[in-house]
Amino acid sequence: MTVRDSAAEQHQRLEEPRHERPESGAGQALPGRVEPPVRRPSRRAFLARLNPLAKIAATLPAMLFLLLVRDPWTPGLFAVAAVALAWAAGGVRPRWSLIVIPAALAWFTLLFALLAAEHVTAGTPVVVLGLRAGALEYGLATTLRMLALLSLALLGGVGTTGPDLVRALVQNLRVPYRFAYGALAALRFVPRFRHELEVITAAHRVRGVTGGRVRRTGRMLIPLQASAIRHAERVSLAMDARAFGAHPTRTERHRLRFGRAEVWFVTACWAVSVLLAVAVALSGQLRLLTSFHW
Amino acid sequence: MTQALVEATGVRVRYDGGPDWVGAGVDLTVAPGEFVLLLGPSGCGKSSLSLTVNGLVPHSVPAELDGVVTVAGLDTRTTPVATLAGRVGMVFQDPDAQVVTGSVLDEVCFALENLLLPAVEVERRAAEALEQVGLAGRAGDDPATLSGGGRQRLALACALAMRPEVLVLDEPTANLDPVAAYELYRHLVQVDAAVLLIEHNLDDVIAHVDRVVVLDAAGSVRLSGPPLEVFGARVEETAATGVWLPTAALAARRLAAVGVELDTTALTPEELGAALAARCSLPPLASVPRPAPPSQATAIAVRELTVRHGERTALRDVSLDVPAGDFLAIVGVNGAGKSTLAQAMAGVRTPPRGAVRIGGKDVAALAARELSDLVGFVFQNPEHQFVTGSVADELAHGLRVRGITAGERVSRLLERFDLARHRDANPFTLSHGEKRRLSVATALICEPHVLVLDEPTFGQDRSRAAELLDLLLTLNDEGRTVVIVTQDLQLVAEHARHVALLAGGRLVAHGAVERVLRDDALLEEAGLRPPPLRRAAALLAHRHPHWAGLTRLGDIA
Repeated sequence: MTVRDSAAEQHQRLEEPRHERPESGAGQALPGRVEPPVRRPSRRAFLARLNPLAKIAATLPAMLFLLLVRDPWTPGLFAVAAVALAWAAGGVRPRWSLIVIPAALAWFTLLFALLAAEHVTAGTPVVVLGLRAGALEYGLATTLRMLALLSLALLGGVGTTGPDLVRALVQNLRVPYRFAYGALAALRFVPRFRHELEVITAAHRVRGVTGGRVRRTGRMLIPLQASAIRHAERVSLAMDARAFGAHPTRTERHRLRFGRAEVWFVTACWAVSVLLAVAVALSGQLRLLTSFHW
Repeated sequence: MTQALVEATGVRVRYDGGPDWVGAGVDLTVAPGEFVLLLGPSGCGKSSLSLTVNGLVPHSVPAELDGVVTVAGLDTRTTPVATLAGRVGMVFQDPDAQVVTGSVLDEVCFALENLLLPAVEVERRAAEALEQVGLAGRAGDDPATLSGGGRQRLALACALAMRPEVLVLDEPTANLDPVAAYELYRHLVQVDAAVLLIEHNLDDVIAHVDRVVVLDAAGSVRLSGPPLEVFGARVEETAATGVWLPTAALAARRLAAVGVELDTTALTPEELGAALAARCSLPPLASVPRPAPPSQATAIAVRELTVRHGERTALRDVSLDVPAGDFLAIVGVNGAGKSTLAQAMAGVRTPPRGAVRIGGKDVAALAARELSDLVGFVFQNPEHQFVTGSVADELAHGLRVRGITAGERVSRLLERFDLARHRDANPFTLSHGEKRRLSVATALICEPHVLVLDEPTFGQDRSRAAELLDLLLTLNDEGRTVVIVTQDLQLVAEHARHVALLAGGRLVAHGAVERVLRDDALLEEAGLRPPPLRRAAALLAHRHPHWAGLTRLGDIA
């Protein structure tokens, strides 16, 4: 009894409402099985409960569109909308960024203004520090575009964990699970290699390794590679020993559905994107990339 | 006799690209529920044999299998690994290299999901397995946040979740501290499945072993029998293969040499204590204290050393003096700060100014070359230190960066470390023991007076480890200061003069070996257990008070 209870409890703790049990399997009534208890309402934010693919799908068109936009208004509006949504529905609470973002905006605006090409600045008045209005507008537009793209990328990833993304790729996009889970396991190598590289660097320093940076790095790559290959082999043996790849599919404990909420969310995001673009266009401020000049 | 569950006949393995067969046609059986301990010197083919049991050899490892292995009647050559995985659970040596997912629960579910069990059954079995290894409360955590011992118990849970008929464990405690190892075995011995265990560290598990199989260096079965026979009547045959013996068996051999025959064969320290207590009288202990360091000078002075790794304080306010010519062992549980202290002592990671002085010179102010004139450091993994393409060049390197022509000195060291015949070989192609000897030799080429080694006996068989310790003791007798980091308290008891005991980054004790290792309360406070002979001696306090101080095998003489 305790075992079953704790299984249910862990299930409840780890699973979120968007994860649904596969109907088959659970239905193959194991005699006397306790039904999963009614789940408590999740305290996780709305965005964290959405299918990871929905968030990516919702933000991708806007990001592509912004790559073509050259005025400051469009990216400004998109950035505000993305941050607002991440704040309201994603539980993102910017603290230090309230200071950092305006400072960075000012800094990058000046920086990009200095890079502005002749034809955008010509004929506009000098405003500050010898910079012309055209240059400043160009700087601001570029900076806001960066900010908007970053905000949308943030929105696309809010509350998404690596394993959830892999599950969604496998379940909804039919990416082969061997590839997806293999990649996930490989990601776990990164911190280990970083540590390994630190140790090797220290070891080589002790040996008084000399020569240029390139030669030093080259020497460190040999032991790093040796241990990387060995580690990868061991992990792959451990995975094989656990029947990885036994069948064309695996049991999915968490069913990630692309359901009504996802469809609504994606549609709403697309609609807002179009509305924002149309609004800017109607106000006469929209400027699109016309050629590949700066 | 019941039908064998695992039956290996004439097994040997040849890895792709290797010219030689590993193992010499091993015959081995494991009956249902039987606990078999597999012993053998380094390189005899134990690990290769273990990989054949679930078909990783030849299916996953590029290697050729000669002979036949069957598991519950299934031929491993024709049965897919995935099918065998449900019957054979594997636990490997490195806990890090077995983690695939991001949470403890996902990790245990991984194999069951691969086997397409229904989701409900997956979670039920996973919860049960986590319960079995004492990790039920950690289901939602990232495996990386578990201790090394915790991650190894997780690997055990992953194997148990498949409800295997046999568990195969290849040196599962090699990376663990003694208490974590003890914990792992506490959970393992409650398992119903048959067990095939490869292990060096026998004291905690030997009481649960049904049969011991000993391979010799050539890779054929030398002995097979119950532990009482293998470590009792036939202990000399066993010892001749160079494998590790339980401390009680080592003690019994020494006792026999001084004319004390025990009535029963003792396998565990506790049994040794009981057997000794049962005797009417015992000869006096030799108790020759190791001579004090020959000099009053201080080789290494550590003052208020604090080291931070990011947020974490790895060492806090450590101060100690290492006299010249000392043999110091740094001990403590995993994560206590042992390696950090050793690395700071040798300037491997530059300590704060003034915190570490070697021969009066501030380590933080020295250039790498000046430093390696004063102190040699040997890393846990010898490969990390190799920087050239040949063994001789590896030794010459240290001289070359100082503008000294190699030659005489290199040849002398190659001879001394028994590496002369490999002088043109690539260091990465040496055996583990040879790599270790080479890394010690490279640290000595500039003739430093201080030598610091991180886990020098890690993963070596008894004769290799003894060989290395003899070498260290010789260097120590020549007047060099030797500092080692180790998990093996019995090794410390036998060879070191002083012990630095760390717990949670603090130095909780620094003193003579006899004083620190006989203080059970102190060891317990630091999360350690007394070394095996101390556990035996604890039972002698009343019956034979003059043996209550027994700490070293060397005391019995």
